[in-house]
Amino acid sequence: MSPLLNLLSLGCRLFLAGLFLYAAHDKVLNPQSFAWDVARYQVLPVVLVNPASVLLAWLEITIGGLLLLGALTRAAAAWAGLLLAMFIGLMVYAGFTGAAFDCGCFPGQEGHTAGFSAALRDLWFLLPALWVLRVPGTWLRLDNLFWGED
Amino acid sequence: MWIEESKRSLTAPFLGILALAAVLGLMFNLLSPRGIPWQPEELTNPLWREMPLAEARQLQGGEVLFVDAREPELYREGRIQRAVNLYPREYELLVRLLRPQLEKAPRVVVYGNDYGYQPAAYVAQRLIREGFREVYVLGTSFENWRKAGYPVAQPRRGGKS
Repeated sequence: MSPLLNLLSLGCRLFLAGLFLYAAHDKVLNPQSFAWDVARYQVLPVVLVNPASVLLAWLEITIGGLLLLGALTRAAAAWAGLLLAMFIGLMVYAGFTGAAFDCGCFPGQEGHTAGFSAALRDLWFLLPALWVLRVPGTWLRLDNLFWGED
Repeated sequence: MWIEESKRSLTAPFLGILALAAVLGLMFNLLSPRGIPWQPEELTNPLWREMPLAEARQLQGGEVLFVDAREPELYREGRIQRAVNLYPREYELLVRLLRPQLEKAPRVVVYGNDYGYQPAAYVAQRLIREGFREVYVLGTSFENWRKAGYPVAQPRRGGKS
């Protein structure tokens, strides 16, 4: 694989890792607050809100960690893509329902309103996930130690 | 072809990541002091009582303090007349500020969305745990209060209410 493609894959992978770790750390440390964020969308039955919010926060941080280490890289990128696709759908739904609240995507409560602009932002984030899924690269990956290059 | 190949090679690690996240989340939630209950205690073991819409309307105007448990963005867009805003995320701060009003009110009726009594049930439960006795959860949402034609406060042109 050419150095340019490897560099691009590494850049996309580290960007995604940073994105997911940044987004997830507050959700993991403040699970109650994140559960309220999830509840606000009113798309899950109330009984599922707490378990789903804990799972989602830990899924995000696991994906971020694996992408950072380059372990199970393609599967982690697939999860990143799946979650981002789900978030895009949720933001579009929020846009249609006229939700005016913070999307709960990142720490802090200002400047991340749920809706179409957040969907567009997530669409951009989806691109590096799809790239890493297709071209995971070979640089700085733990995968290389265990399974060789793919 | 690439997709078929990927499906085969990705299925096991894909499910492995899900299992790893579930185990980590479960462990952390059990061990962390910030862990949350799997089911909200205010719904599994409610201390509050429900107040029907018509009864709440009858009491409006002195005998009851309405507490809007929704986020401030929604509160600003419209609320029951003279309702105060006390929502879960800023509960500790706001309850201190509102304490004089809450203590003076003969009854407190908390309302929220039409979503399994939330977030009103959470706020009502905490108020009762802090010693407020006559705390009720409105049996319906703010939207249904509005649809019933009961008095609401809404922003005037220019955004202020």
